[in-house]
Amino acid sequence: MVPVARRNLFAEKGRFAISVAGVAFAVLLILTVLALYRGWSRTGQIFQQLPGQLWVVQQGTSDPFHSVSLVERTDLERVASVPGVQTVVPVLSRQMNFGPAGSEESVRLMALDASAGLPVTPEVRERFLPEAGTISIESILSRQSGLDEGDRAEFGNLSLTVADVRPAGSEVLSQFAFVSFADAKRIFGVAGIVTYGMVVVDEDAGVPAVAAAIADQNPRLKVYTDEEFATSIRKEIDESFIPVIAILVAIGFVVGAAVVGLTIYTATIERTREFGVMKAVGGSAGFLYRIVLSQSAMLTAVGFLAGYLGSLAVADLAARAVPEFATDFQVRDIAAVGAAALLMAVIASLVPARRVNSIDPAIVFRA
Amino acid sequence: MSNELLRVSGVTHVFGRGDTAVRAVDDVTFSVPAGQLLLIMGPSGSGKTTLLTIIGGLLRPTSGSVTVDGVEITGLSDSKLVPVRRKSVGFVFQSFNLWESLTARENVELPLNMAGVGGRAARERATHLLEERGLGHRLGFRSRDLSGGEKQRVSIARALANEPRLLLADEPTANLDSEHGREIMGLLREIARSGGPSEAAGADRAVVVVSHDQRIREVADRVLWLEDGRIRDIGHMVRDPVCGMGVEVDRAVAVVHDGRTLHFCSPGCSREFAASPQRFLAGAGEGRV
Repeated sequence: MVPVARRNLFAEKGRFAISVAGVAFAVLLILTVLALYRGWSRTGQIFQQLPGQLWVVQQGTSDPFHSVSLVERTDLERVASVPGVQTVVPVLSRQMNFGPAGSEESVRLMALDASAGLPVTPEVRERFLPEAGTISIESILSRQSGLDEGDRAEFGNLSLTVADVRPAGSEVLSQFAFVSFADAKRIFGVAGIVTYGMVVVDEDAGVPAVAAAIADQNPRLKVYTDEEFATSIRKEIDESFIPVIAILVAIGFVVGAAVVGLTIYTATIERTREFGVMKAVGGSAGFLYRIVLSQSAMLTAVGFLAGYLGSLAVADLAARAVPEFATDFQVRDIAAVGAAALLMAVIASLVPARRVNSIDPAIVFRA
Repeated sequence: MSNELLRVSGVTHVFGRGDTAVRAVDDVTFSVPAGQLLLIMGPSGSGKTTLLTIIGGLLRPTSGSVTVDGVEITGLSDSKLVPVRRKSVGFVFQSFNLWESLTARENVELPLNMAGVGGRAARERATHLLEERGLGHRLGFRSRDLSGGEKQRVSIARALANEPRLLLADEPTANLDSEHGREIMGLLREIARSGGPSEAAGADRAVVVVSHDQRIREVADRVLWLEDGRIRDIGHMVRDPVCGMGVEVDRAVAVVHDGRTLHFCSPGCSREFAASPQRFLAGAGEGRV
């Protein structure tokens, strides 16, 4: 078959390039915003990466960031007696300012009391249980603070050596840094009170049943699953970010559809006579629609590809400039934007298709 | 196959209404058999192109009927007219109307695609049609890069792609110099006589040409004069037995031979005939239309 649509599009290379750029911009906007949302949605994931399945907090605690939880160690010791509980690990956690000399950064400091019988794997030790006198941070915090391995971070009178800088994680609202439990007690100046209890549940025990049993045992305590605890942090992002994303995605969709539509419409107007000739020599309405739709689909497909590659480049550049620009390009989002682009092509070809349908083939005999 | 390829019966077309109504075509009746090249002439605004548009199924007449290759097209719906235009009628236009972004071969291939012929079959047929018209070296050229004569040859090849029996040509030589105009006239005559240069079979096509170009009279079998939408005069054409050209009886060189009146385009042809009459007599007189 003669590739009429392709020939028509490439006959005007300059306009084709501009149109592709328009679609690409729309796709880039949509994909980048979605990837940013996905990246930010991983906030709180650290609570799911820690080895506990339940988090015991003070009753009334809404989430780890916006309310302070104070739990007595004796309450946690009683939790250990609940059937199905393998271990209860006392956890100290607090937002802290720290710094190398002359600067100040904020970090969510955490420490696990490994002496409570936490099953320690090499991975858990490396990531969450640094040696006394050291601190483990992530690369975003490293770039924000200028601290690197071997540097010293000052927490009041306590000076810790950066032992490990881990690759960028998923936390954007606040960076997490881990210290030994003994160092945390000195920094926070507490004894007998911790922030949370991290509960490791027996493999054969049901997590919901254990959670209910803990809550029944002590009304001063509230129990979150690791997912609920993580979600409580994400709730803030979902509530503030989703409406913004929805608007940006809608804008991107409208811009993309308008660019494709205007381009195809203009191309159709310019080729009115040629479409008229097609009708005159026996081109059916379906044949002509297919040409218009193909033009639209090709333009959208090339624009989508350019937009996708552009969004990867933009995300990379943005992350270098702004460490918190955490993105996560998920296959389902890319597929969804691809499907939306296809829909965009169909919508954008409706008006030109109507125009083609209204062309009088007798135009061919007019000078 | 029927010998009568086109019948136009009492066709009238009125543009506008009331006081502003204009009868562009007024009660026109004629028919065209296979093998005939009919020339419709007339001044500007006489209704020639409107008549051609109606014959081609692109405009419905206000009244009357048009039958193309046995199919009465004036009563057909728009969707049923599409295959008639695709298979039964070929169009050749004054301004060529080629698809600019396509190559010469693709211009011929596309109507085949519309008819459901694709791939190699369409390519080979398009190549064949163009090669026959001396365009084998221009197959991959964009139509905008071709000369006027080449464009019109591509246009004729395109019109013949789906092997229609009726070819409609609107001022086919108007944008061409005399050399290329003559070339196109020759091609149209060939098509009318033999169904196109590629067809071995006898005449099974007809050509209707609308033109101001007096040169086309030379190749026409019959001339209709249209004025104010009505046929005013029919110029009877006969065949010059020497050169085969159609000549108008009233303007031809007439020679009586053995009691028969023969007509020649020029004194030269009549002299050539006189030198060796038996050589040309076999077909003489059969060309009267």
